[in-house]
Amino acid sequence: MSNENVTTSDTGTDTDFQTDDDQSIASPTPGSEAVETGESTRTTGATHTVIESRDLDVYYGDTQALQNVSIQIPEQQVTAMIGPSGCGKSTFLRCINRMNDLIDAARVEGDLLFQGKNVYDDDVDPVALRRRIGMVFQQPNPFPKSIYDNVAYGLKLQGRTENLDEKVEHALKQAALWDEVKDQLDESGLDLSGGQQQRLCIARAIAVDPEVILMDEPASALDPVATSQIEDLIDELAEDYTVVIVTHNMQQAARISDKTAVFLTGGELVEFDDTGKIFENPDNDRVEDYITGKFG
Amino acid sequence: MATETPGRDESWYGAGEEVDRIRGAAFKWACLGATLFGISMVFVLLLYVAVDAIRPFSADAGWYLAVGLAAVVPTVALLAYYVRRDREAGWVGATATALPAFCLLVGSGVAILVIEVFPPHEWFAVVPALGAVVAVWAVHQRVRPDPVEFERFGVVALAALVAFVGVPGAVPSLEAALQSALLWLNWPTMMLYSFAGPIALATGILIARRHESRRAGAVATTLTFAAGVVSILLAPAVGVDDYLLVVVALSVAVPTALYAESVLRSGENVSGLALPVVAYVGIAVAAVVVETYGFTGPAAWLDWEFLTEPHSRFPQRAGIYPALVGSIMMMLVIVVSAFPVGVAAALYLEEYAPDNGATGRVVSIIEMNIGNLAGVPSVVYGLLGLALFIRYADMNTGSVVVGGLTVGLLILPIVIISAQEAIRAVPDSMRQASYGMGATRWQTVRNVVLPEAIPGILTGTILAFGRAIGETAPLLMIGAAAVVFNAPGAFTEQFSAMPRQIFAWSSEPSAEFRHGVLAAGVVTLLVVLLSMNAAAILIRNRYQRR
Ligand SMILES: Nc1ncnc2c1ncn2[C@@H]1O[C@H](COP(=O)(O)OP(=O)(O)O)[C@@H](O)[C@H]1O
Ligand SMILES: [Mg+2]
Repeated sequence: MSNENVTTSDTGTDTDFQTDDDQSIASPTPGSEAVETGESTRTTGATHTVIESRDLDVYYGDTQALQNVSIQIPEQQVTAMIGPSGCGKSTFLRCINRMNDLIDAARVEGDLLFQGKNVYDDDVDPVALRRRIGMVFQQPNPFPKSIYDNVAYGLKLQGRTENLDEKVEHALKQAALWDEVKDQLDESGLDLSGGQQQRLCIARAIAVDPEVILMDEPASALDPVATSQIEDLIDELAEDYTVVIVTHNMQQAARISDKTAVFLTGGELVEFDDTGKIFENPDNDRVEDYITGKFG
Repeated sequence: MATETPGRDESWYGAGEEVDRIRGAAFKWACLGATLFGISMVFVLLLYVAVDAIRPFSADAGWYLAVGLAAVVPTVALLAYYVRRDREAGWVGATATALPAFCLLVGSGVAILVIEVFPPHEWFAVVPALGAVVAVWAVHQRVRPDPVEFERFGVVALAALVAFVGVPGAVPSLEAALQSALLWLNWPTMMLYSFAGPIALATGILIARRHESRRAGAVATTLTFAAGVVSILLAPAVGVDDYLLVVVALSVAVPTALYAESVLRSGENVSGLALPVVAYVGIAVAAVVVETYGFTGPAAWLDWEFLTEPHSRFPQRAGIYPALVGSIMMMLVIVVSAFPVGVAAALYLEEYAPDNGATGRVVSIIEMNIGNLAGVPSVVYGLLGLALFIRYADMNTGSVVVGGLTVGLLILPIVIISAQEAIRAVPDSMRQASYGMGATRWQTVRNVVLPEAIPGILTGTILAFGRAIGETAPLLMIGAAAVVFNAPGAFTEQFSAMPRQIFAWSSEPSAEFRHGVLAAGVVTLLVVLLSMNAAAILIRNRYQRR
């Protein structure tokens, strides 16, 4: 039973997530008494669950990439997923917006609920789902189009073309890119630096005003300055959006996230709790070994 | 310390040549030899043919002196300068020089189509037909901003059908009525309205976008249209029919001017623009000098007469014109048939077909066999065309459509494979980004995959068309005529193509045919082929340098 070593918040302390309804349960104990890590000052109370997985298994052909993953991701907070490479972090992220559908070999079992609806139900259109859940990838991947067209892409797809200029400007401002590119909106997105490209990708994702933004190691291909810009940006985005971020960089997770989920090899979710708790005092020994670098 | 190690070989650094490189060197030289041998064989052959076609030794020394001093020496000197000092400018110069020549070929091709297939009044009829379709589209958009699936497509397609079947039939009968109205309709003005007009508009729109200025666009439109008018007025002096000169002149002038404008505007490598000026002014000066001093140039087999006359019993008068027209028309059929089918097939195989499971296996078997089809000998395709189009579908033996469709089938596998390669080269991260934004597959293909893949698809496809234009065996099988004296006036008429005509000349008894005329035909074919390849290279370079 791999579930035995999963420690989720319901055995933990400050936030209680019930799963049986959509109601948000307030356990207004802020995490401040526990160790508040980094600059994150968002309170961890008064939230409701946006994404919830129940006993999620994912297979690629015959190999299992995720085992029995159960997790509840709270609204308007930054949830980090950490773990050694190959442990299934990206796989989990791709389950949320059904990007795994694009991989022929992938098979998903179990439930994954978004706003209480199982996204793997037959009546869920993955395209409609992805319009509500934005995604940012590891390698910045702007389209070989102009900066403007990159940001407008999602809006045009959905036919939401009224006030396009304003929406593009707003998204670029939110992504902290407007000042750098406002005079070159017609130039190719590929002419930007790596960090700017990644912020452009973030602007592209938020232009359609999604509810959740998934980020798969968004800073791992960037230099330290660009990385810290992205981290600041994530911090601001969490005011308006639910952010789920995969990172292999534990300091980064500690700095920017409110909640941290630790996956370990074999695709198990070993522990999920407030970031402070995970980094200061994890329940699970293997997590402690991993956090302190003893884990191979 | 190393020096103290007992038994250490002093010459560890290889001075004793204990590392054997003889075999490697021998292999390298053998490879070089093979390369040189192969290339020089092809080169010598081409040179031989070119000498036969042009007969360079029949010209005056004065002619060589004039051409050499006025055109060749300055151009070569300038090229040498670019190679040593400024390669980027050299590339710009080469493009700016090649572009007009290339456009001249394309423009002549269009002009030939106007002469033989679409006379000006039919061409003219297309414009109101298109206008009607656009108007229907615009009205429909206004009336029903949120159409149901395929509604707009259906409406526009219907409008197109009605317009293109109805209007061209109606215009010739309306001609008299229209003529008495204000438009002074005759062939040159028809081409002015229906060829120069749309081109001027398109140029204006392009310039307006580039400069973000409507005024610049308006100026460009006016200039382009004025150039059309001027070319009609100058036609008697040039000695070309006025309605054709508009076509050729604008085909050359507009792309060249646009390219020069873009170079000037970017302000980089502007010095490259000196090359076309030097080259073409040099040629003009040489022509004037030759004319005034009465030098005789080479008595080439490949001359204006050869290009504009049909075959004749007398080698001096024999030409390739009907076969040239046949080849162009056949190309048109090939492009219209093989290109869309091939690209669609490639898109399906790359973007839609599953990779796994039973269907995936069927798909991979199909893909493998497309590769095999690309290797099937062309005679077999000829047989296929004979059976399919002539015996079964009962089309005219040796007609342009049959030839085009047969050769289209022949290159279809190549088109599919090269399009597949171009589509596969679109990075997967682009598709991921698009799907991640909530794009459907169709939206992803249309907005991301196709725009990225189109240059590669075009490059590969043009090379395939190059192969098509030289195919001979299928034409023999489907009964293309060895010799026709009149160019085909419709796609259902019997035709001959350049390679077929060349093949026919090769069995003429007279040596003048077998050497001179044949060589001229080969050179014509090669020029067409090379210019197609040049187009492919231009497209590729243009998009790679982004
Ligand atoms: N497209 C795929 N096909 C087959 N196996 C895959 C695919 N993607 C990931 N995997 C496998 O699933 C496991 C988890 O991968 P991933 O989710 O990418 O891990 P992480 O993001 O944590 O590094 C790995 O063992 C990997 O080999
Ligand atoms: Mg990953």
